[in-house]
Amino acid sequence: MNNRIKEYRARHDLTQDDLAKKVNVRRETIVFLEKNKYNPSLKLAHDIASTFGVTIEEIFIF
Amino acid sequence: MKKIVIIFIVAALVLVTTGLWFFTSRSGFKLVDLVMYGVIIVVVGFALFVGYKRLTSVRKGEPAEDELSKKVLKRTAAFSYYISLYLWLAVMYVADKTDYETHVYISAGILGMAVIYAICWLVINFRGVRNE
Repeated sequence: MNNRIKEYRARHDLTQDDLAKKVNVRRETIVFLEKNKYNPSLKLAHDIASTFGVTIEEIFIF
Repeated sequence: MKKIVIIFIVAALVLVTTGLWFFTSRSGFKLVDLVMYGVIIVVVGFALFVGYKRLTSVRKGEPAEDELSKKVLKRTAAFSYYISLYLWLAVMYVADKTDYETHVYISAGILGMAVIYAICWLVINFRGVRNE
């Protein structure tokens, strides 16, 4: 599963730290997500999508 | 935060007790004592490392543990348990071929388990957790 977190983060001018705090995870988790080394839970995927104001499908590519 | 404080208190207590044991011991150190110290140092070192990581996360305003860190710990526990079974088989084989006291083998096994856990944690933490 790929994702476009880095792209959306850049669009919203957010650092990894900022995004981590918004979705209540550690920065390390965001790093792993961006490197496709971790598949998030449905809740985290939803929280990330909500932060960027898009649907889960737009961020996570199955 | 409570968990972090408990980790540091327990680690400090273990270190103080180990120090007392080390400095008050009158007899010379045998192989088993060195193995015991090895076990303690590996376990306390790992606990301090985990505590420090959690503390830095809390200081940065992040949660001490999140879904990824919990998953890494779970997978590490499962994987290291699986490998430890083979370690104990190896210990049994070595025990059959050599002639140390029983507690030397048990201490060596526990040290091996601690080392295996630390290595598994490092590998899984580096590689990440994919649910595929």
